[in-house]
This record gives sequence, structure tokens and C-alpha cells, in this order.
Amino acid sequence: MKSRRDFLKTTAWGTGAAILSSRLPNAFADADQGKPPMRFIFMHKGNGLFPSVMVPPSLSKEEMAKEARKEAFEVDLAKHDLPPWMSVLNDHKQHMTILQGLSGKMCTNGHHSWQSCLGVYAANERLSSIKWATVDFELAKLFPSPLEHIELACFPIDGGNARGNIHGIEKGFSARGPQQPNYAFGSPKVAINELFKSVSSDKADRIRYELERKVLEFTSSKQSSLSRHLAGLELAKVKNYAEAMEDIRQRNNKLESMGDVIGKNVPKLDSKYFADDLSTIDCQIGHTQILLSTLISGMTNVVTFTVDELGTLYTGVPGLESEKINLHDVGHGKGAGKLKAEEVRENIRTCHMSLIDTIVRKLKSVPEGNGTMFDNTMLFYFPDNGETHHGTGIEWPYLVLSGRNARLNIAGRYVRLPYWGHDGHKTIGNWFTTILNAYGNPIKHYGDLDLGLNKFKMDQTGPIRQFMA
Amino acid sequence: MKYVVCLVISAFVVPLAAAEGGDASPLTAPQPVQRLLSKYCYDCHSGQKSEADVRLDTFASLDAKVRLDLLNKLQEQIHFSQMPPQDEKQPDPAERKLLADWVRSELVKSNAPLIEDKLRYPDYGNSVDHHKLFSGEIKDAPFTPARRWLVSPQIFMGRIIDIFRLKGEAHSRYTNLYGITNPFVLPDRSGIRDYAITPLDGGHLLVMLNNAQWLSHKQIRSARVKNGDFKADFFENRADRFSPPTPAAFEAIILNDSQPLDDALKAAIQAQFGMVLQRPADDAELAKYLELTRSAIDVVGNTEGLRQMLVAVLLDSEFLYRLEFGDGPEDADGRRMLSPREASYAIAYALGDWGPDPLLVKAAAEGRLNSRDDYRREVSRLLDEQNYFKGQIDPVINDSTVVSHPKIIRFFREFFGYPNALKVFKDSARSGGYYQNPGRGSSATPGSLIREADRVVAMHLSHDKNVFENLLTSDQFFMYHNVDNEKGSKIIAGWREVYETLKETDWRNNPEKVFAEHQESLKKHNIDLGKGPHSNGLPRVMEHFTYTFGKGNTPFTTFPWAHGNNFRYSQSYNLPVTPGVNGRYGDDDNLDYQVIQPFQIANRKGILTHPAWLIAHSSNFHTDPVRRGRWIQEKLLAGRVPDVPITVDAKVPEDPHMTFRERVESVTGPVNAMCWKCHQHMNPLGYPFEFYDDFGRYRTEEPLENPENLITRASRKNESETYKTRTVNTDGVLKGTGDSKLDGPVTDAIVMIDRLAKSDRVRQSIIRHAFRFYLGRNEMLSDSQTLIAADKAYVESGGSFKAVIVSLLTSDSFMYRKSR
Repeated sequence: MKSRRDFLKTTAWGTGAAILSSRLPNAFADADQGKPPMRFIFMHKGNGLFPSVMVPPSLSKEEMAKEARKEAFEVDLAKHDLPPWMSVLNDHKQHMTILQGLSGKMCTNGHHSWQSCLGVYAANERLSSIKWATVDFELAKLFPSPLEHIELACFPIDGGNARGNIHGIEKGFSARGPQQPNYAFGSPKVAINELFKSVSSDKADRIRYELERKVLEFTSSKQSSLSRHLAGLELAKVKNYAEAMEDIRQRNNKLESMGDVIGKNVPKLDSKYFADDLSTIDCQIGHTQILLSTLISGMTNVVTFTVDELGTLYTGVPGLESEKINLHDVGHGKGAGKLKAEEVRENIRTCHMSLIDTIVRKLKSVPEGNGTMFDNTMLFYFPDNGETHHGTGIEWPYLVLSGRNARLNIAGRYVRLPYWGHDGHKTIGNWFTTILNAYGNPIKHYGDLDLGLNKFKMDQTGPIRQFMA
Repeated sequence: MKYVVCLVISAFVVPLAAAEGGDASPLTAPQPVQRLLSKYCYDCHSGQKSEADVRLDTFASLDAKVRLDLLNKLQEQIHFSQMPPQDEKQPDPAERKLLADWVRSELVKSNAPLIEDKLRYPDYGNSVDHHKLFSGEIKDAPFTPARRWLVSPQIFMGRIIDIFRLKGEAHSRYTNLYGITNPFVLPDRSGIRDYAITPLDGGHLLVMLNNAQWLSHKQIRSARVKNGDFKADFFENRADRFSPPTPAAFEAIILNDSQPLDDALKAAIQAQFGMVLQRPADDAELAKYLELTRSAIDVVGNTEGLRQMLVAVLLDSEFLYRLEFGDGPEDADGRRMLSPREASYAIAYALGDWGPDPLLVKAAAEGRLNSRDDYRREVSRLLDEQNYFKGQIDPVINDSTVVSHPKIIRFFREFFGYPNALKVFKDSARSGGYYQNPGRGSSATPGSLIREADRVVAMHLSHDKNVFENLLTSDQFFMYHNVDNEKGSKIIAGWREVYETLKETDWRNNPEKVFAEHQESLKKHNIDLGKGPHSNGLPRVMEHFTYTFGKGNTPFTTFPWAHGNNFRYSQSYNLPVTPGVNGRYGDDDNLDYQVIQPFQIANRKGILTHPAWLIAHSSNFHTDPVRRGRWIQEKLLAGRVPDVPITVDAKVPEDPHMTFRERVESVTGPVNAMCWKCHQHMNPLGYPFEFYDDFGRYRTEEPLENPENLITRASRKNESETYKTRTVNTDGVLKGTGDSKLDGPVTDAIVMIDRLAKSDRVRQSIIRHAFRFYLGRNEMLSDSQTLIAADKAYVESGGSFKAVIVSLLTSDSFMYRKSR
């Protein structure tokens, strides 16, 4: 999402040029050619994320008092303990940021937020509510890759936003553009079949892949032939479409040329991760391996991962293996097995942290440039709907892990920003603007404004200056 | 002297990269051109103090694309004679032509977009001289350039549904299909939205790849069930249980255990062409698709091989375009008439979202779509046809209102732009809580207001007399009105009888006894003793009647506690609060509901005073006199206002002591000559609307919403705060009607609207917009005769919009195509 002014400033020909451009826009592609690209992982969860559980238990009495009053302050995480459920990330404290105090009241809140949490507008199940590309897609434009963007999800089969098929490719939380939802892979099985089909050793998969290639080649050739004898706008009307087909073919060619790398990084998963009745935890673990493979092989630089949604029926949670946990019930205070709702939540978050630890450790082990791949990675863990089960968006906690080449000055800190309505308060719109600005998109403000903040006459646009490196 | 994109002579020998990243080549201005640039441009655009931040002396160091951008702008300035400024020495026509020709030749060399392409964009709609268009001096034969026109979102869904050949109820039931994402979205702008200028791009393709997979699987699903591939009740996704019949030609291949013969494959290809592209494949296409299908079947068998062919046809760009190239021999003016088949689609899509109806198809097939009379016969027939195009006005914005010709209402929606009220989110608390923003499953208050504006439009269209004048000046409106006048009167009469009968009884303390005594009558009105949140329990009903009938008022025809009743925004029209909202009754709950509608509402006149229009042309927190004035200038006066220059960061300054008008004036008024140059064409037309606030409520005082002016703070959620106020100033100036009796100062919006409605130019401006809507493009000078005829048709018919439609759809502009 760019303003007209931004667009004109960065696009030399204005409207006239746009009609001749068929390719997906990379208007702000990273200028640092030769450097490894940045990778972004957006991992979000349902059922809210309580701000209270994010607080390091070792804060001083004064700091705890500030925390209770929601006053702005920050501390060095190196000098503090992490909350117990985060403890698996102790080794990564210098790369961690616990960010509190952001709000997102311009989003759809309550049980679900659809594309709101990544697009910063009030989205809902109607596609017409998708106002623009979500932030992960904006970042994918800055760091182009063969597949541009990948979305993985543990779909809910029931509940308010059921997809009806946890193994399908269904509408996710991301959006490519206005009214254009992205499609997410619902299980490791479907994800691996689709993403790694070009290097599949399975004969049926190879045949399917070759057929798809053939059809695309056929249609591309037919569309190209239409463009003969046309000029100007009429030429663009068929040329763009034909070129887009050609782009996909070239992307496929590129993936094929990367066959060795991709082949080496195909996730080596036990068959249980491909079972139709796999547990939620196994689905998350399988997806995590796919996420790593696609990043490491260079297929994509941006992955969005729905670890769960409110309607996800959780199975396989350690200590509760025999339970089918309804997150909605947990949100309303119902426990599972011998555990109280709070404890179930903590168990589930602990599983999420384990996934993050897996990702960070793996990326730290992959050499890149004069360091590791993690140096060029940012991972965001956050709720899709705000601070609690029926989120209001008044708080939107974030856990961030960022490598040393990340362009934000946030690592190693617990940061509480001023509370909603107080001077200096920031929204998730400011937060995403900060990230986009840091990586080369000069947008003045990403996302809708919170109309309720207007009465305080505070400027709620622009990046969070203190985070800019 | 200011010539924004004039170029410094010395900078004109520079390398210029080809438009699409080609090799750099030197750009040299010929001596005569250099002399002109020196004479008219150089003074203002060189050195550190270049006007408008355009430093032409750095031209040589600019990026090639930026240089091309400057050439584009230069071409625009020359075309519209915008530079040099009017108070400076002007190039004569020959000099201007010399400069224009040179710029054009440079742009052509670089394959850069030309002004001719730009003029096709909506922003340039009014760039053709209005006087010339309607003067009658232009005698050129009208035509439309041969073209592809991307289908609208509505036509796209129509085409998708047509693939499955759904009939009757099923035809309208599946306006949304689970696996289909509409790849198209029309721009939000106020004005005609669907122009034949949009090309397909990569985004459309990505969406279509998914759509094609889903569609092809559904097309063969039933045959696969028959083939025993899976059971009829098996669905990969239980949320997606759509199971249409499989065409016989496909089924024959799927159920065939052996390799299908060529004839069978050809039949399948023709079937898919017919369903998707709505025409037969020609011999060359048949051969190519046959080869594709055969080779796919060889590899993966009949079913999956067939499906590859289905996908290939679904991905053809022709599925997403309306093709209008013309056919037959060229006439003396180099034009070709639309082929009968093209004409049948052009007429059908002009009037609705579906392809041609059987009679139109028949007319095309029988050679009865070859003359103006043929077109007139079919257009008139389809305008009288009440069912074929029946549907939602705009399913894209989740609108359930169904009318016989949704597309006609859609024209007025786009022209007035009032549906954009949905896009302007408000802080509900500022309204006192009555205004609800759109959310999940509901378009809330703006959605209801839009539907009420639609009803005003539909009413004037149904009368079809003086449509434009009535839309602008009628004081008749609809509010709530969820049942017709007759039914509403019956409901109210029945309720009144209940109230009069029971008001003296002990219904409050002994409802059971009262209910038992009057059971028969109460049951007739669905009144019971229930206590649920939506129950019509006797005490609750009687309390409601006490606060309505008892106060001499008429209640709304739906009880306030009824499920889904969101009719609670009477304040939008400055009417009293609707009684019983949120179970609350108070002193201000005095709405006297008008059962018989439309009815007169004070201080309102026409669509431009309708809350939906006023909200659509406001910002989140303020009125927007600039936008409202611009709308009048562009839509009613056929004027053109340049976009905000990119060097200007338009912001209204905060000032706790000034009204919003004063704040706007402080930066865009005469005190700021540079801004006033454009704003003089907007602000004086927008200020008269200042007696409506940003919720569309009439007002005489403006609250100065700043913490400094706070009088009372809200004591509860959704209560508005009160501020000091200032009297609003609604003075403005009407200029540009072309009639000296109408132009001049105005005291408020209603005075201005009355004058606008009398203007020939306003009527002709609306005709111009109708032309754009039905032709999908801007008018050219050569369309002059078409526009004059449409205007004449309107006037001579006593203001019939149907007459305008018939005139436009039987015009040469509509019937003829010309290749460039």
C-alpha cells in the first residue's frame, strides 16, 4: 500500500508506465545487490496473547509497578530472566525483543481478525474487506524470490472461521492485494507436495508437474500470439497476461535450476507428519521443517505461519496427548485434563517456543556471507487477534527474534511503549511502517488509523523512530 | 514565467535510455525546438530557484525514466495549454505544434506512453472541450476504437456461473462459489469505474490459476462419481459441497475405459469453448487443443488429461475480456460495425451482468442485429424485461437489494459516488453512538444509508421524468422503510388497536391476565408473554407503545428488539432518536415514524444532501469542502481540476479557534496564490455544504473539536463529548454553468443545487458521464453527434433516462469500431 504521492515519487512514468508493466511489482526491491536477502517469518497464534505472560519475572519492584500501570520503560533482557514458557529461548536472548504496548484497534478484533493482523485494517470473511496487500507481501516485494511468499497453516476444521479441510490449500491470513486473499498450505503433506514437486522423486508427482508445465507453456504461447499487430494500451492488455505466464514459467525454470539446492533441503520428515490424522503439534513440527527448507533453499524469503487459530482443535499437546483441546473453550476458562485453562495456554505457548528455537538454531547453523543465515532473519511471534480471547486490540504483544543484520534497533530488550491514548503511543500500523521503512519501502504510514486516538490529537502516522537503526 | 517541464537547451544532448531498459541513445533537440524552449521555458526552470522543484539544468544527470516522465508531462502541458501561465507570453499555435510534434516523436522513439493513451483514463474525462462537444460544429462520424474490455467483477461472476449452465433458482443462488476468488476489483473513486483500459496482469493470472483448478475439478466431479472414483457424498472439503452436473461430452470421455476417439475429444473441446469462451473453437484452435488433450491423456489417462484441456481454456485471456473489434467491410470513414455476436454481448453487458438472453442470441444468429433499428428493438425490449437482469445492485459490497436492472442504478451510484460512504470509517462515539461502522456481515449504518439513497434513485428512475433534475432537487426521501406503504399501514393500525384496547388495563402488573383476556387479538400481532431478548412480550410491547403512540407518535414498523434490527440512525437525517434502541427510553426518543414513504425531510434537497453522499465526501473526522467542491466541478460542471502536485503535502492545520472551513482557507484560499490557482475551482463550490457535518447531519453551529474547547467529557462509552461551537459559514460562489443568470454568489448548498438543476451544462455533464458508463471510455470530439443526440433524447422525452440509454446504445459510437 503506497500513497499516490509515494507512488508518483518512486514510479517515473506514473499511470502510463503502469499499463506497460506486467510483472508483479518490485518497486522497492532491495538496492543492496550482492548481499544476502533478509528473511521474514510471521508466526501468529489464535486465542490472544496475554500481555501479562510476556513480562520477565525478574523485573524490579519499580519496573513491575510501571508494568502494572502500563507506563513506558525498557530493560536489557540480558539482565533478566525470561518468563518460564519462553525459557527454551534463553540462548537467544541477545537477539530477542519482547515488545509491549502496541495497539491495533483499527483491526477486526474479538475471536478472529482475518487479514487485519497483517494488513492493519478491519478485515472479515468477505474478500471485499481486504483493502491492500498485507505487510508480509510488502516485504516479499522488497526481497524477491522465486516463490515470493509462502503461507503455512494449521487450519481449524470447526469454529468461527473453519476451512473445512485441514489438508487443503485454503484462504489464509495474508493478502496479495485488494480483495486478493493468499492461499495457505493446510498440512505438511499438501505443502511438500506442492512446494517440492519440481524435485519430487515420485513418478506421479513428476507427471503432474510436467503436465502443469505443458499447459502453462501452451496457454502462454497462445496468449503471446494474440499480441501481434497490437500497440499501446491494447498491446498491454494481452502482453501483460502472456508475460505473467512467462514469468511463472521462468520461475519454474529457476526452481528447476535450483533443483540441487532444493533437493538437498527437502524436509526429511517421518511418515507420521504426512498422515491424514496427524496431531496439531506434529502439523506444527512438520510445517516448521518445511518453513526452514524453503528459506534455506532460497525458494522464498518470507513465510507466514499460522501455528493455530481459535477453532483449531489441539491434539498432541505434551502432557495432554489424550485430549482434543478446544481453544475456544480454553479462551472461556475451561481447562483440559488436569490442567487449568491458564496452564493449557502456557503448555501450548511452550510448544510454540520450541518451534521458534528449532528455527533459530537451524538458521544459526547455516553459513551465509561472513556469518549465518539467522543474521539476515527476523521472526515475529504474535497473536492474530490482540491481547486476549475476545481481543479488543488495545494491546498487541510481540516477541521478535532478529539477526545482527536486521535494520531495527530493538534486539536484546524488553520494551513497553506508552499505553493507548498516552503520548508516544504506537499502533501496529506504526510498527509495520517501521519495518517497511527500515527495509526500503518509504511508505509514510502502513495501515488504517485508529479513529479513537484522534481525540488525543496525537500524530499516529509514521515509523517508531527509536527503533530505526 | 513558469513552464514546469520545459527543458534546458544545454541539457538536451544527453543519452536517453529506451523505455523498457534498452540501450541509451542521445537525445538531441533540433535548433528550432531549442529556440522555443529558451524563449518560453528556461527562465523559470534552471538553477537553484527552479519553479515547482523542477531543475531542468540537471536534466542530463536524471535517470532515463525520470527524463521520460518529464517529456510525458511536457506533452501534457502542451496539450492542455497549461503552460506558460496565462499571464505570460504564449507560443503561437505553430510554435506549440512544433514543440508538441518533437516531444511526441521522442516519446514514440522510446516506446513511452503518449498523451493519447493518457486521455483514455478517467482523470482526463473532462479534457475534451465541453462547448465544442455540444456546439454541433463537429460532424465527424463517431466510433469506438477496436478493443478488449476487461469484464467487470459482476460480469466475471456471471461468466463463472454460466460455465455450469445453472438455470432458474440455482442460477442466482450461486452468486458466490466457494473456490472462486474474483480477480477483479473496480477502483473506489467517485465517478465511472469500469473503463476499457485495464489490462490483465500477473495478479489476475495468479488468482485465475487457482480458479481454473477449482472450476475444472467441479466440471468433472459428477462424472467421476459415476465412474466410481469416489462416492457422491465424498467431498475433499466438507465446506465446499457444490456438485454441478458434468457436461455429456466430458462424461463420455471420463466413462470411457479406452482411449477416446478424436471426435469425442473435439466435442469436449467445443463444449468447453462454448461454456467458457461462449463461442465455438475454430479449426486451428481445435487442432491445437486436440493435440494438447491427446498428449495429456496419453500420459495421465482420460480424466486428468481431459482436465488439462479444461484448465487451458479457462486460462485463456478471452474468458476475461469482452472482445469488440467489429466485422465486415470498412465504411467510408474506416469503421466496421460490431458483428452480430459482438453486438449481442455489447448490448447485454451494457444493460446487465449476464450475457445475451435467448432472444438476443437468436436475433444475432438470424441476422437481425445489423442495423440501428435492430439495436433499438433489442435495447428497448431488454429495458422492459423485468427478470432477466434482475439481481443485486452490487454483490461485491454485499448488498442484498434486488432490482430489475441493477446496472442502471449502478450508474447513478458511480456518478454520485455515495457508496463510498462505506469506506469512510467514523469514530462512532462522535455521533453519540448511533453511527455504526461496517463490520462482519453487515455494512451497518453507511450500508443502510446507501440503500436509502438507492431507493431515491430507483424512485426517480421508475417515474422516468426529469430524472436528473429530480435527483438533484427532490425533497422526498426514504428512511428505514423495510415494508411497503400498504403493509406498514396495516401493521401500525393493528398495533394502534392493541394499544388503545389495552392501555387502561393492568398490563404492567398483571400481564398474564391481560394476555389471557386478549389472547386472540394479541397472537394475531405476534405478541406473547415471552421474555427472551427478541421476544414480543406483552409488557415490553406495551411499554414501547406507551412511549410512541402514548406520546402521539407512530412507532417504526419493526420492534427495536427484533433480531437484526439495525434501524437506529434517524439522527442522520436530523430526526429524533428512534424509541427503544438498546432497550432505553428517554425524553429525546420522539421519532414519529413516517409509514408512508417517501416523505419530506427538512433542510435536504436531492442526493447531494443525502447523508450517504455527504459521508462519502467527507473524511474520518471532518467535512471535506474540497472534495465536495471538486465533485461539483467535475461531475456537474464538466470542469477539470489537476491532481495535487506531488510537491504539495496537503494538510489542514490544527487551530482550536478556527472552523474547519477557516482552517482549509488558511492554506488553500486566496492567501496562498499557488494553491488558490486550483482551489478556486473547488472550495467555493464545497463551502455551501458546510451546513452538513461529516455524518451528514444538518447544522448551523460547528463544534470546535479540540481538547482546548472541551465543555463536557463523555461519561460513558459511545457518548459524544461537547465542545464550544462557532456558527458555520455556508457562503460560496457558483461559477462555470455557462449561464450568467445562474453563476454568482450562493448562500448555501440548497440555493446552489436549485441553480445547478436549471443548467444545460449540468444536464450535458451527466449525459457525458452516462456515455462513459455505457461505452466504457472517455468521450472524444468525434463523439459529439452521439452526445448531442443523447441530450436531445433526454430533453425531448421530458427527462427520461431510458431515452438516454436507448440513444447511447443505438449510436454510432456504440455500434462502430475502428482499428487504429
